[in-house]
Amino acid sequence: MKKTFVSFFSLLFIYISVSAQEKDTILFPLKIRIGADVFGPGYYIADKNTLAIEGFLSADKDATLSYALDGGYNKFFYSQYNYEYKCNGFFIRLGVDFNIISPFTSKGIYFAGAGLKYGISLYTHETPFFNYENYWGSAIGSLAKSTKLAHFIEASPGIRTELFPNFSIGWTIRLKILISPGTGKDLKPVYIPGYGNGTKSFSPGINYYLIWNIPYKEKLIIK
Amino acid sequence: MNSRVSLYYLAFCSILSVLSLFSCTPKSCKEKTEILAGATFYKTGTGTISAPDTLTLLGIGNKDSLLYDKAIKISVIYIPLDPNNDLCRFVLTINQESDTLTFIYSPYAHLLSKECGYAFFYYLSECRFTKNILDTVIIRNPRITNRNEENIRIFF
Repeated sequence: MKKTFVSFFSLLFIYISVSAQEKDTILFPLKIRIGADVFGPGYYIADKNTLAIEGFLSADKDATLSYALDGGYNKFFYSQYNYEYKCNGFFIRLGVDFNIISPFTSKGIYFAGAGLKYGISLYTHETPFFNYENYWGSAIGSLAKSTKLAHFIEASPGIRTELFPNFSIGWTIRLKILISPGTGKDLKPVYIPGYGNGTKSFSPGINYYLIWNIPYKEKLIIK
Repeated sequence: MNSRVSLYYLAFCSILSVLSLFSCTPKSCKEKTEILAGATFYKTGTGTISAPDTLTLLGIGNKDSLLYDKAIKISVIYIPLDPNNDLCRFVLTINQESDTLTFIYSPYAHLLSKECGYAFFYYLSECRFTKNILDTVIIRNPRITNRNEENIRIFF
């Protein structure tokens, strides 16, 4: 599996370097991007217990670096034989995206790179019931609704390409590390909006974006 | 347009490769879900671990099942506490002599994992006992969790 993973990325980088144009200068369009995730709403069709609505706003600083702000809303419900859990809340992620493709190849329409972001999630969760059984019989409990603030960081490799003028699509993989769930160690959240499984210190995720690009400035890039 | 499609295809395949690293298969509960107070037997005067010849343990109020039934030569026992109360009693019989052990504690909920759900952990504040065969009982570690630690020492 690792070999497959490495070989695909190698092919991607070889392709990018081979296809680089030989021009000495280029007028690079800096853009503001507004993206909406369609993976979360699509997933909701299959699993009505997880609703994830999110999008992002980014602005190019130069040909390789963009400032990015992601935001969204998550609603989560989980039920199994011995407990029920409800959670909903908002999150933001703030950071930068690095495009590793040369400006002479990307021309402002391709992106292959990674983001580095800090995330904050403000959420409300509750456990309407849980059941625990031992030698003495059954004990039923519940945990009242409470509002918490979680912190996490993430690396987000991804790709985007422009399909039509000023309209792009792209995938982003989110590799998140939990800094704090905002709770004590006994009652960790089952789910944190914008992060995922709050009982784990690492949580992966994925988004598929439809993106509207707004060119706001052109920058002369000299080789 | 062809070059765009090729680039996008390559990147798409890369993402599929990465995604295949993460399994979406539902996981089963792998944590220890039994929360038990660990008790070790010591011989009075010597301070060394000593296994009674026979040992029987029964929760008072739960006469249907013995926790240990004439167990031979075991030096460590694991005792379940009642999460619906903050006190529970046991009859401990060592070598045909019986004593009553009373545990006073505070139960509190703990999330084991998403797959396992919740359990009750306990903070043990006091341990009372009769003295037919028992000499003393000390609390070694008051936090009773799913780690199977030594929480009390029973001297007889």
